[in-house]
Amino acid sequence: MLSTQFSFRKGYRARAVFVILNAIFFIFMMVCMIVPIIKILSDSLMNHTVYGLKLIPDEINFIAYGRIFSQESLRRPLVISVYTTLMTTFIGLLISTIGAYILIQREMPGVKLFGYMLMFTMIFNGGLIPTFLVMKTIGLLDSLWAVIIPISLNVSNLVLMRSFFEGLPKSLFEAAEIDGCTPIGIFFKIVLPLSKAALASIGLFFAVAAWSEYFHYVMYISDTSKYNFQYKLRDLFADKQEQSEGININVKTLQSAAIIVSIVPFMFIYPFCQKYFMTGITMGAVKE
Amino acid sequence: MAGVNHETLVVKKPPLGNLLYKYRYFYLMAIPVVVLLLIFFYWPMLGIRFAFSTYKLKHITSGAGPDYSTGFGNFVALFKDKFFIDSFRNTVVLSFWNLVFSTVFTVIVALLINELQHEWAKKFVQTVLYLPHFLSWVVVASIFTLLLSAGADQTGTDLTTVGFVNAIFMKLGFIDHPIAFLTTKETWRPAWYIIQRWKETGWGTIIYLAALSGISPDLYEAAEIDGAGRMKQTWYITLPSLMDTILIVFILNLAKILNVFESVFVLYNELVYSVSDVIQTYTYRKGIQGNDYGYSTAIGLFKSVISLFLVTGADYVAKRIRGYGIV
Repeated sequence: MLSTQFSFRKGYRARAVFVILNAIFFIFMMVCMIVPIIKILSDSLMNHTVYGLKLIPDEINFIAYGRIFSQESLRRPLVISVYTTLMTTFIGLLISTIGAYILIQREMPGVKLFGYMLMFTMIFNGGLIPTFLVMKTIGLLDSLWAVIIPISLNVSNLVLMRSFFEGLPKSLFEAAEIDGCTPIGIFFKIVLPLSKAALASIGLFFAVAAWSEYFHYVMYISDTSKYNFQYKLRDLFADKQEQSEGININVKTLQSAAIIVSIVPFMFIYPFCQKYFMTGITMGAVKE
Repeated sequence: MAGVNHETLVVKKPPLGNLLYKYRYFYLMAIPVVVLLLIFFYWPMLGIRFAFSTYKLKHITSGAGPDYSTGFGNFVALFKDKFFIDSFRNTVVLSFWNLVFSTVFTVIVALLINELQHEWAKKFVQTVLYLPHFLSWVVVASIFTLLLSAGADQTGTDLTTVGFVNAIFMKLGFIDHPIAFLTTKETWRPAWYIIQRWKETGWGTIIYLAALSGISPDLYEAAEIDGAGRMKQTWYITLPSLMDTILIVFILNLAKILNVFESVFVLYNELVYSVSDVIQTYTYRKGIQGNDYGYSTAIGLFKSVISLFLVTGADYVAKRIRGYGIV
């Protein structure tokens, strides 16, 4: 197959040229995707002002990373990010599985209303300011719950979970019911154990969303001790104070290192979990 | 089963009382979800009434509450507000062109991925191209703020202090002086379009690749027998087969045209407000930073109502094309 595809014999020439051009195009595309990240990584390792075209660091200096993990104003946001990510993933999965489990009870009186209540939030909402005022009224401003709950209450993830639950064999539920299993027993003993793939996918969606969250902090959090790492990263670009604190460090090096720290956890899991990230599209045809 | 009367086979709906009892645990489980929905989604909807009031920080601190004598005054003011009109225009322009670039570029890349010879090459290219989608907008903005920086030295004599992109352009001789891409009005939009493509092109191909894998190989065989070359096959078989998917994706994104927010919020700045400020960022500055709750709610409501029409329209069109809607 390969030899005919690549043959420069007459008749295959145009095809061979195309194959080569196509390969060059994708090498170029991949370079465009990867080089920005490599450049940032290399800049994060050089604590002097020479940047420009240099892609390979001429020194390996972890001073900026050391700074991120030692300086309280940078370490705390990292801890907050880890905490909110764990909390959001847990609460988000709890809400989506419970909501989805209710939605598949076709005979339950009121289940349609429950469905409509969920769906309507996808097409209409009160808007930025009324939501902000509600948060203010119930006293959630400056509380991390103002970030955790809105991300956990994700209707599209709930609907995705429902389409997965709908694929589970109904006969299993019936059999368990006949054996005297309560709905809560069925949920824990049958539904959840059979949904490990969906839990992994949707859990990842929640984790990535929570780790990347920025906007809810901008809206609801003004207490500087409660910013997450994304917010802090943005702050590093806005205010130059950070650089004058303590030991001398190049601000660009610190910024680059902060970028790398915020993408590293994801880089580690991405190659292994790619199929879970993609289920959202293949399972429910829900496009971000 | 000889003695079974046919009538007993007709499934009767049990009485409501029995059903309520049967599902009692589910109602219990539904309570927290419903309560959260009511608080975080439905209660804010009541706040829409502030759009018809004057409601500023002083109304909260004095305890007087919103002043409803304004009526439709906020909406009248809206159409005279130069900054609002700018933000509306920017929203439509940015989203529309982004949608056009995204459709064209993503479809082309998907077609080319499909032409790759080996499975491993396909997989590898896809893995790399999907990656930027998972970086947050804050990270993407931070990366490009550094790469597109013009450096402190505007004379451009020293290649080592400017950002990576400017350094390349100057090395290649495209420009003499570094350009501050993200703080110059002429270059902000192109930079934004390109950053959008960098982040989302790969991920966007998934849906087209799924559609491509669904095209029957028989069609291509038949075309080959009829003497159609690769180009003709692409033009007469692949593209028409993709048309439904392209239309659906286009319409779904058209419905969300006014929702552009975070990508602008992390990349814009005061110097380029006139070409980059969108409805949501303007709402944020008016409402949260300016504490003008009544007026900013009016802006938000204006946007939500148009979006509602767009989504309902898209739902209708989607139903016509593929048989099921989007909500």
